[in-house]
Amino acid sequence: MQLKGEFQGQEWQAEAQIIKGQLWVHVNGRTIAAESEKKSSRRGSVKIKTGDVLAPMPGKVTKLLKQKGDLVKAGEAVLVMEAMKMEYTLKAEVSGKIEQIHGAVGEQVPLGKMLVKINEKS
Amino acid sequence: MDKKIKRLAIANRGEVAVRIIRACEEMGIETVLLHSEVDVNTRAYRMATKKICIGPAPTAQSYLNIEANINGAKASGADAIHPGFGFLSENADFAEACERAGIIFVGPSPRAMRTLGDKVSCKALAKKLNLPLVPGYEGDDQSIGTLIAEAEKIGFPVIVKAAAGGGGRGMKVLRSKDEARELIESAQREGQSAFGSPKVFLEKYLDHAKHIEFQVFGDCTGRVIHLFDRECSVQRRHQKIIEESLSPSLTPDLRRKMGEVATMIASHAGYRGAGTVEFLLQDEQFYLLEVNTRLQVEHPVTELVMGVDLVKAQILTAQGDPVFPDGQLIAPRGHSIECRLYAENPFLGGVPSTGLLGKVEFPEGPGRRYEYGFEEGDEITSYYDPMIAKVIVWDESRRRAIEKMKKVLSDSIVFGVHTNIPYLIEILSHPEFVNATMTTRFIDTYFSESLKEPLMTDLEKSVIAVAQKSVRAGGSSADAGGVAEFPSPWSSYWRGI
Repeated sequence: MQLKGEFQGQEWQAEAQIIKGQLWVHVNGRTIAAESEKKSSRRGSVKIKTGDVLAPMPGKVTKLLKQKGDLVKAGEAVLVMEAMKMEYTLKAEVSGKIEQIHGAVGEQVPLGKMLVKINEKS
Repeated sequence: MDKKIKRLAIANRGEVAVRIIRACEEMGIETVLLHSEVDVNTRAYRMATKKICIGPAPTAQSYLNIEANINGAKASGADAIHPGFGFLSENADFAEACERAGIIFVGPSPRAMRTLGDKVSCKALAKKLNLPLVPGYEGDDQSIGTLIAEAEKIGFPVIVKAAAGGGGRGMKVLRSKDEARELIESAQREGQSAFGSPKVFLEKYLDHAKHIEFQVFGDCTGRVIHLFDRECSVQRRHQKIIEESLSPSLTPDLRRKMGEVATMIASHAGYRGAGTVEFLLQDEQFYLLEVNTRLQVEHPVTELVMGVDLVKAQILTAQGDPVFPDGQLIAPRGHSIECRLYAENPFLGGVPSTGLLGKVEFPEGPGRRYEYGFEEGDEITSYYDPMIAKVIVWDESRRRAIEKMKKVLSDSIVFGVHTNIPYLIEILSHPEFVNATMTTRFIDTYFSESLKEPLMTDLEKSVIAVAQKSVRAGGSSADAGGVAEFPSPWSSYWRGI
């Protein structure tokens, strides 16, 4: 829907729409995807490095570069995925021992799926 | 013999299918969309005269399946097939299968495709004609040991490419011997999965080169001309992002020489229809890179500066009609830029963004052209290429075209998936792009990291607060200084037809 308003004496026009629970707004040449309801802002939070390697997009697992029990260093490639015909190499964020691998070669995985768990302490 | 095409099948999807349908509509030709199961919610599906489902979503079972495409075309009574770009467009076996089935393949002959489309035999022809080539290895011995040894011989950095490839898939830059094995194997896998062949070749990687290409066209009489050049140096993972015509980097002398090389190799291969001869230009030296035996994604920039319709010209040529009468193509005029809109999140390293499309709106105006295959209510899936649209502008000078493109991108609305629009605007504003000194390393050098998401301004926060209230109120009213208008009746009715 089209929205119009005024903010600190400045008139604005925007386009807004809710799609699958997310609010999309286009204003002053910028598109913003926001929460559809007001919540405490999670912006600016520091990203914590974890031993969980998650699927950054839906796609297919094409190669496992490590096995359960392998020791990996932070930054080392652990798994290769394919989405939209491009390959993406997923890397370990921390050093440690691979505790679990979820996902086999050829498997279609959803966004955010935990694919590899690395135990930092070992 | 009456070869006039009456019904044309499209072995493709997305915005290029729409482009072909538009050309056919103008020519009074019926269209048949050969589509996969998931592609029923697309613009091409809604526009085509007839639709035939040729298989499930995975490309190997639909868009890359020769038999399914031929059977679909035959069942529909089509007398021609246009392959678009990507998928089977450069597959000589497909062109041959069309011939056997008595269907006109809109493109070059299978023989010309084999000679030029296979990067290895293309190089052989170029060598025979004494044309400048980048040093490399294109042997039949594809064992990993040989490939690594040859890469060392050429000297790092070396680029590995899928022999049947294109569009950046199956291409990797090897910077040292340490990473050679992993990257060569990755290129082989990508080649297998995207093009059905693991064959690769190696080339010396030119690290400050510009990507320049010439549009060539062979008419039905065998005459081959070129329609000037495009520059596509703005590439990420060897995938073009921004293209323009003419190239701002060529002197008249270079332009003349490269144009001669382009038409020479195409006419020696007996080329018919639209094709592209790609070059790398480094330190005033140019090297022939490859020939794409098809229409190119970026063909609209050539169409805008040359005032031609390449798809119509392809179809006319395929049915034996003359195109581009002598004297018509005297000179290019003005400058044209194309930006590829990818469904991806530029603030998260460009990961693909999939989902249901909301409002899609491109601002109309002179010198603006939009090629898109998806509209509100369509779903962007992870099965296919993330390119969802192309934005093309024309203006009298390059500087004006850049300014127009920035404005047009800012005013374009795509809801439901993230797009690379903020990324494109940053690139268009970069001094190297503005001064036209960018090379194929431009993106790696300046844009390898995720874009930093700008903080929301107070105005934006206030607008979002108004929007949150308005949508909860069902869009009928709002307070906090904002007035919600009733949604247009079209947005609710027109998709229900």
